[in-house]
Amino acid sequence: MPPVIDYKKCNACGICVDMCAQDVFFGSKDGEKPVVSYPEVCWHCNACVTDCPEKAISLRIPLTQLVIYK
Amino acid sequence: MITEKIQADVLIIGGGTAGMMAAIRAAELGVKVVVVEKANTLRSGAGGMGNDHFLCYIPDYHGPDIEPVLEEFLRRSIISEIAHKDILRQFFLRSYETVKLYESYGIPMRYNGKWEFGGHTIPGGINLWLRYQGRDQKKVLTEKALELGVIIQNRVMVFELLGDADGVAGALGVDTRADKVIEFQAKSVVLSTGLCMRLYQPITPGWIGNTDLPFNLSGDGRAMAYRLGAELTNLEWPYRHSGIAYFQRNGRGSWLGVLRDYQGKPIGPFIDKPSLQYGDSAMTAHEILDKHLKTGRGPIYIDHRGMSDKELEYQAFWLTHEQQIATLNHLREEGIDLSKHQIGFMSYGIRFKGGVSINTEAETSVRGLYAAGDEFTISIGPAATYGRIAGENAAKYAKAIPAPDIKRYRAKIEEIKSLIEGIRGRQWGPGWLEANVSIQQTMNDFAGLIRSESGLDAGLSYLKRVKEKVRKGIMARNQWELIRCLEVINLLDQGELVFITAKTRKETRYKHIRSDYPMAHPNMEKFITVKKINGNPVLDWVEPRN
Repeated sequence: MPPVIDYKKCNACGICVDMCAQDVFFGSKDGEKPVVSYPEVCWHCNACVTDCPEKAISLRIPLTQLVIYK
Repeated sequence: MITEKIQADVLIIGGGTAGMMAAIRAAELGVKVVVVEKANTLRSGAGGMGNDHFLCYIPDYHGPDIEPVLEEFLRRSIISEIAHKDILRQFFLRSYETVKLYESYGIPMRYNGKWEFGGHTIPGGINLWLRYQGRDQKKVLTEKALELGVIIQNRVMVFELLGDADGVAGALGVDTRADKVIEFQAKSVVLSTGLCMRLYQPITPGWIGNTDLPFNLSGDGRAMAYRLGAELTNLEWPYRHSGIAYFQRNGRGSWLGVLRDYQGKPIGPFIDKPSLQYGDSAMTAHEILDKHLKTGRGPIYIDHRGMSDKELEYQAFWLTHEQQIATLNHLREEGIDLSKHQIGFMSYGIRFKGGVSINTEAETSVRGLYAAGDEFTISIGPAATYGRIAGENAAKYAKAIPAPDIKRYRAKIEEIKSLIEGIRGRQWGPGWLEANVSIQQTMNDFAGLIRSESGLDAGLSYLKRVKEKVRKGIMARNQWELIRCLEVINLLDQGELVFITAKTRKETRYKHIRSDYPMAHPNMEKFITVKKINGNPVLDWVEPRN
């Protein structure tokens, strides 16, 4: 579930933890790679992806939000 | 539980666009300003990841007379049916000042050196939405506020105002990550906590986070203002936003295609090919969007075919400023190509309009308490403009009075601390999600799109039972859940007020549909206000101000 962190790229800077308005990363510790504790309230605002200096985060859009098209 | 004490001249609750603009203005006037923000002001609020259309009146573009602009807005009527006209006029009068300030802070307000207006306009009408590059607006506003000496307390939720109906004296905040409360003493307070997004079900009832604005917006300001004794207005009107299906998201004005039914017929009379200047105003016709889906004529699609690559790039550019980067990434990952494919478009879950009553000076009915932004007016332009007005007046007020004594409110502080300790101390009981979903089903079923006396009575009585159980038994396993629980308590107060005001409006008007009173009553062409007096909600009818 979103966001998905590539721990190989993550440098544990904590920017995503600071930015997330929903505090999806609650419980993450300073200086350590973040944990995704509450993915179900991710609003897909993309702040963590946009602001990550290592491009280590992507969002997995849940099936409930798959866009309809034809 | 640790207790910290912070003193401010002006306390600003909610560091979104309105809150930051209030903070900047108050700090310019030389008072001590503290902003308390539930998340982080760099990316928080409805404009956290940007906006690209800014409602405003620019004399160079629109001409010297403001009245046609105001009339156009009322005619376009996205929010007009329930707004005091003097509030809107004051906003339009001061909106150009806001645009120029944004530009001076470094937010790009022009496109290729010019004012670029577009979207949300009926062909032949006046364009009112300025396209601007707002993706990093919150970072810019935060930087500006810090430069001016504003103190920002991120990750603190203010849960209760201190004071009484005669005047505000401060507030009690709860740290969102540590077991800590903060007592704020303040001469004046600006409420700018934004809309309430979690009172009704989202389009996906089982997925509470699929909201069209941030999930953590829970209308805290409305609930706190009511509990303090401030007046609220217009809570009985339901409202639905619309956008692409099922990726619930604000920012529909950035999509420039035509809404068509399955057979390809445009559903609105406005445009039959994509329009950069106008967009398709049919997207605000929620009943039609809904009816198509529910009567087997749907879904409705938005069709961008016919737009050149350059025009599609133009649209994508603005969408990235309107918090839609994730949406665009999703379309790409799914292989959805707007030059070939049409995407679903639908009405979203219910919100309620209205909020904390203000006048044209952003004053509420309580002395020293101001409100701005989505607390009452909706949309980014009014948020920024009324934020500034609120900050200015809150600072002037603070300069004129001595520091209040919050010791008088010790009993209230202790009551809240004991509420928090209760929530954190329980080993079993309903959690925040269970309670929130229960509230949402009650609101949707009994104070939803079709209302009646029997349904409203049943729903109100049910909601009160839920409230009683929540107050006595809700539990949180950590600080994150505690914050959600406090939000749930705020939702319950707001839900109750929606029921009470909806019961009072015994007529059908605008989106408030009463099956037992199917006609509009000429005597009810007024607004309903509610405030708490001696512990009970007291309602009144007021004439819309001109």
